[in-house]
Amino acid sequence: MKTCLIVDDSRVVRKVAARIVRDLKFDVLEAGDGADAMRQCRQKMPDAILLDWNMPVMNGLDFLRALRREEGGKHPLVVFCSIENDAEHINEALSSGADEFIMKPFDADILESKFAEVGLV
Amino acid sequence: MQEEVFNELAELALKGSGQAIPKSKSYLIEARLAAIARREGFGTMADLVHCLKSRANPVFAAEVASALVSKDTCFFRDRDALKRVVDDVLPKRLKASNTGRLKVWCAGGSTGQEAYSLAILLEDELPASLRGAKIDILSTDICKVSTETARVARYGHYEVQKGLSIHRLVKHFTRLETGQWEASEALRSRVSFRQHNLLERADGLGNFDVILCRNVLSGMARASRTKVIESVSKQMMPGGMILLGGGESVIGLTDKLEPARHFRGGWVAAGTANAEASAA
Repeated sequence: MKTCLIVDDSRVVRKVAARIVRDLKFDVLEAGDGADAMRQCRQKMPDAILLDWNMPVMNGLDFLRALRREEGGKHPLVVFCSIENDAEHINEALSSGADEFIMKPFDADILESKFAEVGLV
Repeated sequence: MQEEVFNELAELALKGSGQAIPKSKSYLIEARLAAIARREGFGTMADLVHCLKSRANPVFAAEVASALVSKDTCFFRDRDALKRVVDDVLPKRLKASNTGRLKVWCAGGSTGQEAYSLAILLEDELPASLRGAKIDILSTDICKVSTETARVARYGHYEVQKGLSIHRLVKHFTRLETGQWEASEALRSRVSFRQHNLLERADGLGNFDVILCRNVLSGMARASRTKVIESVSKQMMPGGMILLGGGESVIGLTDKLEPARHFRGGWVAAGTANAEASAA
């Protein structure tokens, strides 16, 4: 089964997203900030990452740039998931290596649609 | 909902738009008429029905009938079929055309996402065989509000995230201060919109190379489905195609159409499928 790492400093968002992603037949891992996410990726790269922007310790954008420099870091399909939903932020996320972008708030249909866009479902 | 109230509204839906709403789905009536009820100050569906019966206002009755039609749509619904229309069907039609102009009709196009999806494909993935072709897309819907929404081309947060990749969103839409996303002028210029009830004659709309009538018939009563498909197919140019939704069929409704040989979900004039297969 594919794995999805959900990276968000909100426990509520992680729980909601995890339920949706499990329904899409993924094993789910969670991280509360970019540094924890990087530690987990270095242990084993997930197939997909659902990534928040504003987080303590290491934000989503810095994590993504660091991830793509890591060995094997190009493997995970990264879906940014953020309340920052203007074109500037979206383009910055895409140019930093995100494969898709979800504007919060989201529902199960949106998450599934975005995962389908990148071929995860 | 009281039975007589349900019966009145179900009858209105049937006569006004061909929709068949079973009693088990009476909740759909309340959901679909909620906005009208709120606007007019009706506390219950019974109040709305009382108004319909006492006022004898055909414009209001038509508005209620059109509100009862499902508005369910999204960008790139069944994208493979849309892609095949652009990559296979339209180029074949262009070869057969002596005007260099192609016409597509999205029948029952709701708030425009289907038409704009086609426009996006023509902008982003135009096959070489269609270069120089003039392709007109007309989208019609029974609902005045849906038609106007489509024409204005402003979509909300949830609508632009279903079926539309982020790359296409930022390429073809602009985020407004209201938070809505507006389609580009380039997209809007490719599509025109008109209000049209599929139960009525369509000869005023012209003739078309491809007619998309997807996920429209399935909500209708059988007699309405026959009426609609026969009316719509009259607007098909010789050699043209009608595309239905996945799982939809007109077998048993009309003998004027037969399945296209090389396009699942496509229907062509009866007796022409072999010619279409030879041209493939």
